[in-house]
Amino acid sequence: MSGHNVAYDSPRPPRVVVFSLASCFGCQVMITNIESHLLELLGQIDLQYWQLASSAPLPEDYDVAVIEGAVTTEESEALVRKIRATAKTVITVGACANTAGIPGMAADHYYERPIEVYDEVPSAAGNIIQPRSVPSVVAVDDAVLCCPIDPLDFVAVLQRALYGSNRMSSTKTLCGDCKRNGTSCFYGKGTVCLGMVTRAGCGARCVNLGRPCNGCAGLSPDANLDSAREACERYGVSVAEFDKALEMFNQTNPAIKVKG
Amino acid sequence: MAKSTINVDHVARVEGHGDIRVVIADGKVESVQMRVVEPARLFESMVRGRSYREVSYVASRICGICSATHVVTDLKAVEDAFGVEVSERTKDLRELMVYGSYIQNHATHLFVFAAPDFIGQESVFPLAETNRALFDQALGLKALGNELSTKIGGRPVHPITAVVGGFTSEIPADEYLRLADKLEEAIPFALQTVDLFRSFRVQPLATEGDMLAMVADDHYAVERANAARFLKAGEDFAAARYEDFLEEYLVDHSSAKFARVRSTGTPYMTGALARVNASWDKLCPQAKVAAAKAGLRPPELNPMMNNLAQAVEIVDALERCAQLCHKLAETAGEDTSKPVEFDVRAGRGVGFTEAPRGAAFHDLEFDDEGNVVHASILTPTAQNVANLEGDMLQLANLLVDEGAPEDVVKLEVEKLVRAYDPCLSCSVH
Repeated sequence: MSGHNVAYDSPRPPRVVVFSLASCFGCQVMITNIESHLLELLGQIDLQYWQLASSAPLPEDYDVAVIEGAVTTEESEALVRKIRATAKTVITVGACANTAGIPGMAADHYYERPIEVYDEVPSAAGNIIQPRSVPSVVAVDDAVLCCPIDPLDFVAVLQRALYGSNRMSSTKTLCGDCKRNGTSCFYGKGTVCLGMVTRAGCGARCVNLGRPCNGCAGLSPDANLDSAREACERYGVSVAEFDKALEMFNQTNPAIKVKG
Repeated sequence: MAKSTINVDHVARVEGHGDIRVVIADGKVESVQMRVVEPARLFESMVRGRSYREVSYVASRICGICSATHVVTDLKAVEDAFGVEVSERTKDLRELMVYGSYIQNHATHLFVFAAPDFIGQESVFPLAETNRALFDQALGLKALGNELSTKIGGRPVHPITAVVGGFTSEIPADEYLRLADKLEEAIPFALQTVDLFRSFRVQPLATEGDMLAMVADDHYAVERANAARFLKAGEDFAAARYEDFLEEYLVDHSSAKFARVRSTGTPYMTGALARVNASWDKLCPQAKVAAAKAGLRPPELNPMMNNLAQAVEIVDALERCAQLCHKLAETAGEDTSKPVEFDVRAGRGVGFTEAPRGAAFHDLEFDDEGNVVHASILTPTAQNVANLEGDMLQLANLLVDEGAPEDVVKLEVEKLVRAYDPCLSCSVH
């Protein structure tokens, strides 16, 4: 966690700004989806810049920066560095910011892709660079995971940034959650699921509704990919399919590359 | 020569990143530009090589607000390619998912994005101080859209349960009835919203472009049909033939492709206003009365009236979704939404839905293992930007001729951009 507890370190309400890079905007939409808590939240902060919700201009100085989206241009990479240099606390929200997410799917063979979509790449697209996560560019203080984020997770993380907390974030994998939830396992049905290697915390929202995990929370630092691949073989699930599924949210994570 | 440029960098209260340029020389508007400066996102390239099982999950991430419609459009394209026929119940649930995104999108757009302009505020938040009841009701309406999306799709953004052939999970029958009650209870406030937006003064514009909307003989079409109509030209076409009728083209000031009518080169508008114009007589009773009372009748060509059309569509969506919920509760156990069996085969399919912001087309081609070999996606905003520029020129000319000061031109042009409810991140997919 951050060494700054911005709510205590300053006499005025913490100044918060929200930035969006390459993304679907869905995590910002999810922040607005705390409807009934929105005013309580806003009452604790001085929200100075949020282009989605307000035409107020970006201030020179601020305390907390919330970043949604992946870095995909030279301009956004420079912006992220500037944000880090300005803000006391940086919070990344959503898969795009945290793992490069869906935009990161394009990282492989990136420079061949724009000409597949555009005959001539318009200058308005900016100076594109291979998609990357925010933490791969600058250090971040806290993260709200998943695609999209759960708005209550956002509230919890913002509270932690404002007031501090000695609670450590968990690195356990999702599989344990399904066991505790008593949901049946996709591997028994021969279907790839990324719960074995994906960070827990979502409550297995997708599995509970009958869909396998696609790994949107990102790989757990505890993930044992080799062991997971062996488990695929044991259950007669294609290892190639498992590796392909990993590319969806973890393409730019060096850990997914098969060793040797 | 006196030359000035009105710049709006990073237009606020729209989804995505865009800049406006209006150049005025010697008291005449020289040029207008809507610059979409969203970084290239390359979805059409990214889905290539991915399985039919994943493609709607990825396409959903084109847009956080209309994710439900991107999912449904993609599923329709996959099913068209494989020849899958889904159950009536699945169609009802998909329609509810699409309408959930309408309620959510329209309430957010009207209150959070558009209304602050008309009440002289930077954002909706001061409304919490000045009119707490209105603020709470507006957020309540948005929350109801989210609840509907969550009950049917599993969460408000990026639905989980909708898959090729059906749904992986459904709520119990009595929950549909509770939802129906809540939807009906929200109608009075939705009617007030129509009155509120009718009271806002707008500039007298008439779009010169055409309008495009999904059409059906027997209902207000958003999901179940496959026919599209150019309203002014009176020309209908099947979604599968969209390429013969619509044309995408590149301009250097936008990372979104622009679109026009292929045969004539004219731009066109799609969205709530086009839909209300196309299907006015098929609106639900209370929505139709509200539209008539507000003076919104076809042909309504003023793009600023898209706000009012969205307000009418909220009323319509509440009435229609309540009916659908009753039907789903009554027929639970008779019909199922369990995914139907199908065979994967090589082929091409086109999906078409009316997203909250307008017509969305997904065109997918698969190999015999069901992996995508080619994808083409046409989002509503990409189709709207060219027409928006045309309207912006008309508006700027009107105001400059009246001798309006620059800050008025700037605000009015921004209002026009917001009336289109553009999703710039969507438009660059």
